[in-house]
Formats: sequence, C-alpha cells, structure tokens
Amino acid sequence: MEIDSLILMGFIRALIERQFMQFALITGILVGLLAPVIGSFVVIKRLSLIADTLSHFSLAGLSIGLFLLNILRLPIGDPLYVGMTFAVIGALLIEALRSYYKNYKEISMPIVISLGTALSALFISLAGGFNTEIYNYLFGSILTVGRNFVFIMAVTTFVILLLIAIFYKRIVIISFDERYARLLGIRVGVFQFFSTIILGLVVSLSIETVGVLLVGSLMIIPVAAAMKIGNSFKTTLLIAILFSEVSVILGLWLSYSFGFPSGATIVLFNILILLMVIIIKKIFSSPHAEEKVAMEAEVRTE
Amino acid sequence: MRVEVRNLSFSYDYRPVLRNVSLNLENGDFLVVVGNNGSGKSTLVKCILGINRVPEKKIFLDGMEINEFRRRLRIGYVPQKLDDFNYEFPITVNEIMHVSRYSRMRDEDKLALFDRMGILELQNENINTLSGGQLQRVFIARAMVNNPDLLILDEPTAGIDAESEAKFYRIVNDLNDEGVTVILISHNLKPGRSNFNRIMRLTDGRARTIAASEYFERGVD
Ligand SMILES: Nc1ncnc2c1ncn2[C@@H]1O[C@H](COP(=O)(O)OP(=O)(O)O)[C@@H](O)[C@H]1O
Ligand SMILES: [Mg+2]
Repeated sequence: MEIDSLILMGFIRALIERQFMQFALITGILVGLLAPVIGSFVVIKRLSLIADTLSHFSLAGLSIGLFLLNILRLPIGDPLYVGMTFAVIGALLIEALRSYYKNYKEISMPIVISLGTALSALFISLAGGFNTEIYNYLFGSILTVGRNFVFIMAVTTFVILLLIAIFYKRIVIISFDERYARLLGIRVGVFQFFSTIILGLVVSLSIETVGVLLVGSLMIIPVAAAMKIGNSFKTTLLIAILFSEVSVILGLWLSYSFGFPSGATIVLFNILILLMVIIIKKIFSSPHAEEKVAMEAEVRTE
Repeated sequence: MRVEVRNLSFSYDYRPVLRNVSLNLENGDFLVVVGNNGSGKSTLVKCILGINRVPEKKIFLDGMEINEFRRRLRIGYVPQKLDDFNYEFPITVNEIMHVSRYSRMRDEDKLALFDRMGILELQNENINTLSGGQLQRVFIARAMVNNPDLLILDEPTAGIDAESEAKFYRIVNDLNDEGVTVILISHNLKPGRSNFNRIMRLTDGRARTIAASEYFERGVD
C-alpha cells in the first residue's frame, strides 16, 4: 500500500517536474483519443487489419528515412516524415488493390504488408542494422517524444476531429452502408480518399507511442471492448475513448515506475479491459438468452 | 414522380439481362414487378436507381434524363437484401435516421413517420437487437426520411412474419394514396394486399404488362 502510493506520488511528481513526462502524457492522451475514434470507423467497415498493414508499410518509410539520413547523409530532417508519407502511400495502395480485386478485397492487406516488411528489412540492413531507433519504431518510445512531435500531434488531432465533426453524418452513413450513401448522392469516393489519407497519418503518428507492432491494437482493441457494451454509436465511441485513455494513463504510469516498455504496457491494459468486458458480459448475460441461443442452434441442426 | 423507361436493354459483362424493357409510370402509380428468380427484377430497379449505369436517353425521371438527374433524395429505396449494411456495431434507430436525413424534415414529421412505421418506441434501440420485421420497418422508414416521391421496394416482405407483412402493406398503400409513386418487386403477391394499379411480369429479361386478374389466375409462375 505504502509502496503503491509512493510510486503514484513519484509518477505525479514526474508529471509536474519533468517536461518529457508532460510531453509523453499529452501525446498519450491525444493518441488515446484519436486512435479509437478512427478505429471505430475502421472496425465498422471490417477493415481491422488495415492499421497493422499501414504500420508495417510506414516502417518501410521510417527505415528508408534512416538510410537516407544516416548513410547517404541527406538532410531529410526526421525519418518520421518519410514514415508518414509511406503510410499514406500504403493506404492508397490498399484502396487501389481493393478495387482491383473486387471480390477478394482482403488480398490487398497481405500484399501491402509483405511489401512493407520486405522493404523495411532491406533498408534496416542498409542503414546499418538493428539499433535503438529501430527498436523504438517497433515498440514505441512515448517517453522520448519531443516538443515538435507533440505540436504535430496536437494539430493533427484537432484538424481530424474537426473534419469528423463537420462531416459526421456522411462519414457515419458511408461506414455503415456505403451503397446507401451513394444513393443519397454522397460523393463516397472523395470521402474515401481523404479518410484513407487520414488513416495513414494517424497510424504513422501512433507508431511513436506504441510502435509498429502494436499500433493496430491501440485502434482496434478499445473499440472491440466498447462495441460489446455500447447501445448506440455515440456511447460506443465514448466508451472506446474512455477505455483507451484509461489504458494510456495506467500504461504510462507503470511504464515510468517500473521501466516497462510503454507501448506494451498500454496495449496490455487495453487487452485486460477487453477480457474484463468479455467475462463480465458472460456473467451478467441472462441465462435465458443463452437458453434461447442454444434452442435456436438445436432447431438449425435438426 | 414520373418514371419512363424506353426500350432498355442491359447486360452484365455481355450477358444480357434486360431486353427492350419499356415502362411508363405517372405520379401516384403503383407498379408491382413479378417474375422468376433471376428474371431481372432487381436489375431493372437498379437501373432506375442509377446503381447500374445505363446508356443515354433510356431512363427519364420526371422527364429528366437519368444521368443528369441529381435530386437523388427524392427516391427512397429498400434493397432486396439488407446485407449491404454493416451490422453488429451498435447504432440506434434514431442515429441511422439522423445520418440518412439530408432534406429538411421537422422533428414532428419525423416522429409521425416513426409512429406510422410502428418504430416510435424503438427509437433508441440498438438495431442489432431488433427482429427481422422491425428491422424491415426501420429500413422502410429510412427510405422515407427524405420525403421521396418515388419509393422502390425490392422484395421487402421476404422472410418477415404475416403480421409485419400486413402492417407493411398498409403503410405502403397509405403512402401511395398520398401520391408517392411506388415500384414494388414481389414474389408472393396476394390479392387485396396492396393497391397496385399496374403489374409488370419479367420473363428472361422481357417485360409484359399484365392484368392483375391474369396474374392471380396463373399463380406465381
Ligand atoms: N452485379 C451482377 N453482376 C453480374 N450478374 C448479375 C449481377 N446482378 C445480377 N446478375 C445476374 O443477372 C440476372 C438477373 O438478376 P436479378 O436482376 O437480381 O434477378 P431477380 O431480381 O429477378 O431475381 C441473374 O442471372 C443474376 O445472376
Ligand atoms: Mg431480385
């Protein structure tokens, strides 16, 4: 008990005194907000794998960025920008492949993942092999984000949330029922193009927090938990944000206090919440409902 | 809305589905389209809806060539299968209506619409918890939410219980009485149910307008 409160006090003191902790917290809260919001639309459209695909493609950009910077000594600034560009290119590539394989749309994902992973492996080796930077890209490094990144993150979050608020009705109907949206005269293609770009940006910015390998979880898992308890679209969204923020803050705390990797800790909290939701749902779902399901299943097998 | 189809032929990948189909509907007409599975019923309405692209000067809505027709909100549509919708993610009836509504409709009118569709008390329900009949009524209400003057219903009563079906026909008849042009594709049309005034039978993509009596004498085929 005493140790716990000491650890908590240490965390709070660090938040007050240390600038890097403040940057980490702000970044975490912004990503914790943006990821499940974007993730919800991704889940509705049954594109859950897209985040992981894009993060792998973005890694290719990051490694090419490192190669240009460290080996060719080109003044490209931060490899992050190359990573962001690649995430967007990857997203457009997925869209193109999805319309090329109309009846096998999911084929686009493994193709783009493979290309991204292969390019990453190639350029990581060309850039001098595995090092801390690569490790941070893979697993995240929220405790080392700088002022510049926090600024980019804040602006991006603001702009994206503003766009969602303005086009809320159109975005929601396109996600739930694309064909009906077309019938209503909504220019679905235009919206799709911009949401693809936004998705790429959010994925590449989230890499900074939890890393390439865990970005997908940040976007999908809080939503997966929320959709089992929400009753309306809006409450589901709010619950997902709540779960995500709780995970970010608890994750940061543990990660700071015990030196755990931040991305892993945040994602594990997300999974813990998901498990709790599943278990609690199981306990509280009326036995009646289960009987009914069992009976229906029997009828079907007859 | 007036609907005119002039000698329309339509193929999917060179496979002809509609052959020389013509149709002329005035405001307030109620057309029932019948025909075997695969005879081209859904294809015809998809052409009228602009889902299937057709050559110029084949379809006219209120006298306007369909490729030029921009006032999409004036057409309400309930697709044959509601499979296009991404289910399972929570969304309430009210939320669906909200995001589907792009024309001005006063809140009282919206509530009146819900009431006549029998979904007033379902407003705040998650649609994933509704029964088939309730869901069907929600989608018909969605088709009505922009006050269309053409309503296209593709086998709307398939798989719903008799009571919901009767309720459904009452609603469609009322709407038609108010002047909405209706195109109803139906498999199991029963006498006295709907107040249609035209029947089109599609056989292998060829259309023939028949009298109701003839249709009922000869049964579904
Ligand atoms: N999108 C499509 N692509 C190719 N063929 C189609 C498509 N939609 C329907 N068809 C074919 O066109 C024919 C007519 O289909 P449809 O209009 O759905 O018939 P109905 O509604 O009368 O049952 C069927 O043979 C069907 O297989
Ligand atoms: Mg059909």
